[in-house]
Amino acid sequence: MVFEKIAEIIAEHLGLAADSVSRDSSLEDLGIDSLDTVEMVMQLESDLGVELELEGKISTVGELVDFVESKL
Amino acid sequence: MINSPICGLLGIEHPIIQGGMAWVSDGTLAAAVSNGGGLGIISAMSADAGYLSRQVARARSLTDRPFGVNVMLMSPYAGEVARTVADMGVSVVTTGAGNPSKYMKMWIDSGVAVIPVVASVALARMMERSGASAVIAEGGESGGHVGDTSTLVLVPQVCDAVGIPVIAAGGIADGRGFAAVRALGACGVQIGTRFLVADECSIHDNYKDKIIKASDIATVVTGRRLGHAVRSLKTPFSRAYLKAEYDSALPDEDLEKLGVGALRLAAVEGDAEHGCFLAGQVAGMVKKRQRAADIISEIMAEAEVVIKGASEWAV
Ligand SMILES: Cc1cc2nc3c(=O)[nH]c(=O)nc-3n(C[C@H](O)[C@H](O)[C@H](O)COP(=O)(O)O)c2cc1C
Repeated sequence: MVFEKIAEIIAEHLGLAADSVSRDSSLEDLGIDSLDTVEMVMQLESDLGVELELEGKISTVGELVDFVESKL
Repeated sequence: MINSPICGLLGIEHPIIQGGMAWVSDGTLAAAVSNGGGLGIISAMSADAGYLSRQVARARSLTDRPFGVNVMLMSPYAGEVARTVADMGVSVVTTGAGNPSKYMKMWIDSGVAVIPVVASVALARMMERSGASAVIAEGGESGGHVGDTSTLVLVPQVCDAVGIPVIAAGGIADGRGFAAVRALGACGVQIGTRFLVADECSIHDNYKDKIIKASDIATVVTGRRLGHAVRSLKTPFSRAYLKAEYDSALPDEDLEKLGVGALRLAAVEGDAEHGCFLAGQVAGMVKKRQRAADIISEIMAEAEVVIKGASEWAV
């Protein structure tokens, strides 16, 4: 469920179809920079009602999903 | 006299912060700015904690007033200098090139006021939540590492998004710029480029000459391909770099190597050929060398004239 939500947010952010985003997609290859990541994390917070303290660097969609799931 | 909530917050007289500048803002420049009534900032740049402690000691020997330290989050020594800031009881820390979340609690617990530089609304909101005392909204016209959004567009959006004071940076070098960002909702300014030509700034004379001679279109942004965009003067170095950036046959690692050491070559050696002379678009408005204190008093006096005169614009 978290993956679907994140894929939807990324797809919307980048103007892609949600099924073109996979767990293995690297954020950099998708063209998502660190400011975009912060923006998506803030949106995830309001959509999922959790507080996400971004600490380490997140490189792939799968890592972002795992990070968010660990906070739920 | 122009009042601002950040004066009380930081214990300063005028709401002007001298931005942290790698290879440029040492303890001497920071102390000169603080003695002039603004807030001087020492850059921790990519040096170790020993360098930072020496610069803090130097500034303390030159001023009793508050000053700050800028921690560049991409520095390999970011962790140890972050600790030094807390241990030495520096009044204020500003952060650049990234998200400082992991150090914020340590700083706040040690009584350091944290003022992150942000280039987006989302990061500003995240910083407010993590306990920042204020944020510096830095537009893409700035010198150094830059975001894309311009000051005119970024500042009001950050002001709308957060409740803490917002300081504007990027493209401000005189009282008109100060008054303009005040109108956008900012309660103070951070200035980099104009302080490059301060008498107390120790960069090479060639660097200062280039700033004084710069025109309105003198800067360029390089490094977008590697994800760290940097604004500097157009020079043989930046032109060669820009060309290499568009060369898709050149691997990223080789491109990265091209930039190594170029900041030092500009600031210390004044190497016009191989140096990278970081500067903001506003370099075209910087026309004379002055003492740091005179830069501050001149900007404040001009701003007062503009702000008082503005009442005549509406009838
Ligand atoms: C030579 C130079 C070096 C800089 N180095 C840093 C830095 O190390 N860390 C940082 O957060 N900002 C850095 N900046 C940005 C400044 O702190 C400041 O925000 C910016 O210069 C404001 O825009 P202005 O140049 O239009 O006044 C640098 C700017 C310049 C011109």
